[in-house]
Amino acid sequence: DAVAFGQGVQVVDPEVRAHVYSLVTALGGFNGEDADRYVLGDDALACLRDIRRWLKLYDEKYKRMDVARCLGEANLINGDLLPILSLWGTSGQKSKYMSRIALACLELLVPLTWPLEIHGEMTVNNHRHTPYLQHAQVSYKRGLLSRGSYNLLRTIIRIGLPSMAIPRSERTMRDDGILKLMLYLLRNITVITPNTRLAAEGDEEETSRSATINAFQAQDVFALILTMCSNIGDDFNMQDVVLLEIVFHLVKGVNVEKLFMDDAQRSAKHTDELDTLLKQESSLRREYSKNAPTRHGRFGTMIWVKRDDAKVSTVSGQDVLKDSQATFQKMDGSKKWNKPRPRQRHEESTFNNDFSTPAHLNSVASENLRMFVEEFLDSGFNPLFTHVRKAIEREANRVVPINSRQFFYTVGWFLHAERARRARQQEKQSQNEKPLKELEPDSFGLVASVLNQETFVFLNRSMQTSFDQKDWEDLNAQMRCFTQILLTVQEMAQSSLDEDQDIAENIQNRIFYEETTHDRVLAIMRGYKDQGFSYLDACTELAHVFLRMLERYSKENVDLQVRSRARARRKNKRAEATAVEDNNDEENASEEEDIMEAERVCRERKFDFKRFAAKFCNQKCVDTFVAFTKFFRELDSGQLKRAHRYFYRVAFKQEMSVLLFRVDIISLLYKMIKGPGALDSSKPIFKEWEELARQVIRRMIKKIDQRPALVTELLFSKMNSTLFYLEYGHEKQTLPSI
Amino acid sequence: GASGLGLGLDEEVEVSKKRQPVAKLDESRLLSPAGIPRLRRTAKQNLKFQGKGHEFTDAARLLNFYQLWLDDLFPRAKLADGLSMIEKLGHHRRLQIMRREWIEEEKPRVQMDDT
Repeated sequence: DAVAFGQGVQVVDPEVRAHVYSLVTALGGFNGEDADRYVLGDDALACLRDIRRWLKLYDEKYKRMDVARCLGEANLINGDLLPILSLWGTSGQKSKYMSRIALACLELLVPLTWPLEIHGEMTVNNHRHTPYLQHAQVSYKRGLLSRGSYNLLRTIIRIGLPSMAIPRSERTMRDDGILKLMLYLLRNITVITPNTRLAAEGDEEETSRSATINAFQAQDVFALILTMCSNIGDDFNMQDVVLLEIVFHLVKGVNVEKLFMDDAQRSAKHTDELDTLLKQESSLRREYSKNAPTRHGRFGTMIWVKRDDAKVSTVSGQDVLKDSQATFQKMDGSKKWNKPRPRQRHEESTFNNDFSTPAHLNSVASENLRMFVEEFLDSGFNPLFTHVRKAIEREANRVVPINSRQFFYTVGWFLHAERARRARQQEKQSQNEKPLKELEPDSFGLVASVLNQETFVFLNRSMQTSFDQKDWEDLNAQMRCFTQILLTVQEMAQSSLDEDQDIAENIQNRIFYEETTHDRVLAIMRGYKDQGFSYLDACTELAHVFLRMLERYSKENVDLQVRSRARARRKNKRAEATAVEDNNDEENASEEEDIMEAERVCRERKFDFKRFAAKFCNQKCVDTFVAFTKFFRELDSGQLKRAHRYFYRVAFKQEMSVLLFRVDIISLLYKMIKGPGALDSSKPIFKEWEELARQVIRRMIKKIDQRPALVTELLFSKMNSTLFYLEYGHEKQTLPSI
Repeated sequence: GASGLGLGLDEEVEVSKKRQPVAKLDESRLLSPAGIPRLRRTAKQNLKFQGKGHEFTDAARLLNFYQLWLDDLFPRAKLADGLSMIEKLGHHRRLQIMRREWIEEEKPRVQMDDT
C-alpha cells in the first residue's frame, strides 16, 4: 500500500501519546443515553491532575512540547475542558467537587493557551510543534469566545470571584494563585491571533480582535478589568502587571483617531479612504494609459539615444518616442543588476508584542472598546499606571523585561486617547448651539499619574538605556510615549483652567530644563539606520513635536535656562590638552578626578533655540527624513507635512539648503512631483511640496552657476569644512585664535 | 590504481577557470579620467539650464546628465544604486582630499592671498 508522505513519521514518542490519550479518554465524554450532555468520568479530577503533571514533569522539565501536542490532537480543550466548564457554569456551582474540577480545568487552560514565540533557546522539538500548537491555540480561542450560548468567559470569571471577594489581607496564596490563573487566561486570549502566514481558513473573523472585544464586553470581562484596575493598590496588588498586559494587547495597533469617531464620521472616513484608494488606482491607470503603447506589442519601435563621443544607446518600445524622460527611465529600469543589500540581522521575534501593525475593528467593537477606554481613563488609568511603574522600577519578581515596553506604549496610547476624547467633546459642545448646562471644563487630573517627575525620570532613563543598548523596539514605544506626553502638556497649557496652565508651565520647564533631553532627541534623530518604518515614523514625529514645542516655549520664555553639562566637559578637555605635555602618572590620576568632578558640575546657561535648531540641520538628520520621505506614497498628509516642515526649516529657516543638494534627494523631490508615481496632485499637500521642490531646485541651479564645484559635490554628503563656503560663498568669519 | 603507478595519471586534471573579476565602482574608478574629471569637463559643456520658471525641466536635465555619466562609468548599476555607492565612497580620505581641492580651485584669489 502506498503511504502518504510523512505518514509513518512519529513526531511524538508513541508511549507518551498512549498515556496522554488514555487520560483524555478517561476524563469523560458524550456517551450514554444522553448524547448531548457531557458525562464526567469516575476519576475526572485525578485525570485532570495527571494531565497537569504530565505537562509539568515531561514538557516543562525536558523542554519538549510533546504532551501539549498530544492534547491538541486529542482535542482536549474543545472536546472536554470547555464542556466541563459549561457544565459547571450551568448547574454544578454548588457542588464543591465540581468547583474543584472547574479550577483544575482552568489550571490546564492557562499553560495550553500560553503565547508561543519563536526565540533563541528552542529545542528541535519546540520548533517541530510550535506551528501546530499556534494553530491549535487559535481553535482554543475560538472555542472560548464562541461556544454556543455558553458564556465561558463569564464562567471563568466566576471561578475567581470568591477569591476576589476576600479582603486582600485575608487572601491566601491559593486565592492569589486563582486570580492569577484567571487573569493570565484572559491575557492569553487577547494575545492569540490567527497566524497571517498560514493560509486563510475563512473564519478568522471569529478570533479577531473585534470578536475578542465584543466577547469581553458581552461577558463582563471589561467590567472585571475596570474593577481590578481602579482598585489596584487597595484590594489588588500583584495583579497590576498582568492587567497591563491585557490592556496592552487589547489596544495595540488600534488607531485612536478612528476609535473616537462616531459611526457617521467613521463611515465617512471609510468612504473617504475608499475614495482615495479608487482615485489612486485611477490615477495609476491614467498614468499607465498615458504611456501605454498605442500599437500592438510586436510593433517593434526602437530608438537611439545619442550621447557624447558619438556613442548611442538603443531603447525599444513606442512609449519612449513621446517623452525623453520615459526613455531615461526605461534605460535605467532595464538594468538587471541590483546593489546587494546588507543582510538583515535576525531579530528576536516580536510577533506577540508587535504594536506597529494596525488593527482594524468593526463598528460594534469600536463602540465597545471606546466605552471601555473612556471608563478606564476615568477610573483605572492613574492607579494602574502608577502601580505598574513602581513595580517596574522596583524590579519586582512578577515583572518581565517586555513589560516596560508595554507600559510605555500603553501610556502613550491612552494619552492620545484622552486628547482625542477631549477633542470630540469640544466638537460636540460646539455643535450644540446652546449648551444645556454650563459644562465645567475637565482638568487633566485623569492622566496626572504619568505627568509627574518620577515618570519623566523613569522615561528619560529608559530611553537612554534603550538607545545605548540598541533596543529599538523599546525605544520606539518610549518615543511614542514621550511624544504623547509633550502633546498632552501642550494641550494642557491651553486649558481654560488656571491650575492646569500652571502645571503645564511647570512640566514644560522641567522637560526643557535638562539639556540631556535635547541631546538625546538629537542623537536618536541622527542615529537612524535601518530600524524599520514604525521606528522612523516615531523618531521623526518626536523630533518634529519636540522642536516645535521648544521653539514656542523658548519664544514665550525668553530667558529659558537649561542645565548644561557639555560645556564643563569641553573646558576640561581644553585644560587637558594644555597639560598633556608634562604628564606623569600622578598628575594623570588627579586630572581624571578633576574630569569626573567637572562632569558632575552642571552649569545653567541661557537657552538659544536658534543654536539648538541648527544642530538638527546636518546630513545625518536630513538622511533620516529623506529615508522617511521615500515612503511618500504610503504617508498620510500629517506625515507628509512633518517631512515638509523639516526640509523647509533646513533650507529656508536655517539657510542650509546646500544639505539638500544631492542627486538622490533631488531625484526624490522630482519623483514626488513629476512621477512616475507622483503625489496626488489634487491634495493640498501636493502644492506645498511642489513649491518646496521648486524653490530648492531653483536655489540649486543658481548655486551651480555660481560655484561649478557643486557639480561634483552633488554626488556626496557635504563635508563640514566646506559646507559653509558652499552655502554662502565665503569662509566663516571667525576671530583669529591667538 | 595500479596502472597509474601512483603517478596520478588516471586522475582527471582539474582545469579551474579563474572567474573574470567583477568590475567594481571604487575610488580609483571614480577618480579615473572617465570618472569625476569627465563629469567636471562635460558639465561645463552640456549642463545648460533655463533658469527661473523651468525648475523641473532643469532638474530633469540634471538628473539625466548624471544618469548618462554614471552609465558610462559603471554600466551595471541603476541610477539610485550607483548614487548611493558613490556617496559612500565620498567618505574615504582620498576622495575627501580631492573634493576639497576641487572646491579650493574655484575660490576667489583674494582668499588664497589671505592664507
